[in-house]
Amino acid sequence: MNQPNAFDRREFLIGTAAGSLALASDARATLRVPFQARRTQHVVLVAFAGGVRTRETFGAAGNVPTLEAMAKEGVLYKRAKSSNLGHFGAALSIFTGVSEARGIRENARGEDPTLFEYLRRDLALPASQVWISTSGGAQQTNYSYGLHPDYGARFGANTVDGDGLFNAEFKSILDAWGKPKALSNKEQELLAKLRAAIESRGAAASLNSPESAAQVEKYILEELTSGTADIRGANAADAKALRVARNLLVVFKPKLVAVVLQQADIAHGSYNGYVEVIRQNDAALGELWKAVKGDAELRDSTAFVVVPEFGRDADLNSRRGLDHGDGSNDLEYVTATCWGPDFARGRIVEDDVQVVDVCPTVCELLGARAAKSRAKRLPRLLA
Amino acid sequence: MARAQDDVTQAQPARALDAASLRAATLDLYGRPPFESERLRWTGVARHEFVDQALGSPECWRHWLEEQLFYFLLIDNFRPESSRVEALPELLAQGKLDVRDAIHRIALSPSFDQRNPGADTFVTVVMEQLNGLRVQKNPRELEVGKAIYDGRAGTFLGRTGSSQSDILSIAVADRSFAETLIEREYRRILRAEPERKALADWVRRLQRDAFEFRGIVREWLLAPAWDARVASKREAPNRLWVRALYVDLLGRLPSDEEARRLRSALDGLSDAAPLRSVFARVLIDSGQVALPERDAIPEPSGWIAERFRSLLGREPSARELESFVSTFRDAECRPQTVLYAIVTHPEYQSY
Repeated sequence: MNQPNAFDRREFLIGTAAGSLALASDARATLRVPFQARRTQHVVLVAFAGGVRTRETFGAAGNVPTLEAMAKEGVLYKRAKSSNLGHFGAALSIFTGVSEARGIRENARGEDPTLFEYLRRDLALPASQVWISTSGGAQQTNYSYGLHPDYGARFGANTVDGDGLFNAEFKSILDAWGKPKALSNKEQELLAKLRAAIESRGAAASLNSPESAAQVEKYILEELTSGTADIRGANAADAKALRVARNLLVVFKPKLVAVVLQQADIAHGSYNGYVEVIRQNDAALGELWKAVKGDAELRDSTAFVVVPEFGRDADLNSRRGLDHGDGSNDLEYVTATCWGPDFARGRIVEDDVQVVDVCPTVCELLGARAAKSRAKRLPRLLA
Repeated sequence: MARAQDDVTQAQPARALDAASLRAATLDLYGRPPFESERLRWTGVARHEFVDQALGSPECWRHWLEEQLFYFLLIDNFRPESSRVEALPELLAQGKLDVRDAIHRIALSPSFDQRNPGADTFVTVVMEQLNGLRVQKNPRELEVGKAIYDGRAGTFLGRTGSSQSDILSIAVADRSFAETLIEREYRRILRAEPERKALADWVRRLQRDAFEFRGIVREWLLAPAWDARVASKREAPNRLWVRALYVDLLGRLPSDEEARRLRSALDGLSDAAPLRSVFARVLIDSGQVALPERDAIPEPSGWIAERFRSLLGREPSARELESFVSTFRDAECRPQTVLYAIVTHPEYQSY
């Protein structure tokens, strides 16, 4: 049975207030007010991506004990409608709140702002407060920010692809060349003077300030020696993404860490491999959740939202794998799990929602507004 | 006799290469900046001579191949290792194979199939990447393509087929392939959208004879539009930056493994600048960069101006030179400090 509809009532009040003040100069502040009393200060958004059907998560007992435990203490959306836009486009749409077709191998930024940009711009956050941890390589750095002229690189998220960066081969290259000489304060001053003397500014987009760039530089060098590079196994890239997210949370205590998983897509050629990736990713997610619960600052102020970008076909293909393209309910409806200090406990929402609703929901939860998103907030989320 | 020749006034060749255009041309055609020997050889020489030599070299087509593989995201574990793909640069340089057949070969490689598994993904990527078609706007073609992929007969892009390889043969033969290829290559090299009438002409030429591609690229490199490209700066992709850093600092290209690992690490960051800085410093302080001792530079202005020319492809302004020279006079400013300042600056990250 469904729980009382607290969020709907609050939404109605907010909607009424926003409606009556629609012509006021700062509608954004109006929407923000009710969220100020909330306890959620950090959000972990996991795109449990690569194409994951509900049948192998909540439909198969024992595959995802972490997600099941989260759902028991949180809110479960059983029918989150996705669009088969390819992995890249579908995952991007979670972050933009706009369902738009993108090429599967398109290695370019989207037109719409992402929730990372909304948060950084509305809340005046430095880049070190908004992160994406990925496992799919170069293409996924495009999630960081879009091309909208009001937003863009200066409000982007720092993206770290754990598998590309934290691997034994890259570490061995750095080791082979040796460590850079530590600069004296005087030489650092001279260096800054020389750099400032170069008149051209180049074309590089400045996502990080010099201060946050230095923090990122330090973090990378530390993470390279932390053991992340040594992770092995069927889901190694996804496990690294989740490990990196865990370490980022502990080090930076950011407002938002998004994680994009990918390796479930092994399903095209191996159903069993796909199920194994789901199980291992759930276990790695459990480690992340445990780390949050064990951190005094994070435990009562961190929310999790976990959602696949889309599902997979209803039937096995000729290779006894699962593709994604049959238009079935298995493909188009996925399950979204939300857990956090402000969310309802044990609530199951049977009504249809949209995967893209995650973007405005996370934004408003943290006090920002997804101004260009065409999605709605997830209903009946709050306690 | 030699003296008499020296005294003859030499006319400046048309479109003579200077530091900036030579650096841009080698980056565009070879995917790296010029080596010292090439700067000596080509500075002041007519651009068309350099372009003709480059377009006939395997190195140029090796770079073209790498750019195509990156476009298809056939990188890292998905990079084709077959001898048929490895042979492409030589065959293209010798004019024994055209670009249409080269891309057809790439798409026929097992890596392309593994990268794009299943009927839906495979046909979608073919339509998007080879033919520039949005599948959401062409659902019929997608469905027919998927049926052909699965071995059933059908008409895809106006031609009949009944196998996965038919999908590729049809796709590369279609006019939309030529248009997509020309458009994206024009954007890659000229950094602009092609004018519609010119595009139609190039597409017609490529459809008639795909060997025309080399001539079309030659025209682009000699056109005023390319001069505009040299004047405009864009952030260098990591794969190019890695190769540039090795050539500029070490006088050699990175090995394939070095290039792949570094590129992969840098591509994992939305802002690669912090890691680029780390690696530039690692390289400069490795002891393997040929640098004179500070005391061996009695007249720093010449040495500094040469660093600007070789690393940034331009002369320093009077103010820049004055500022660098005065800073260099401080005993704690090393030659490495100067190098570090230049290669970690946003201008060096651009090309």
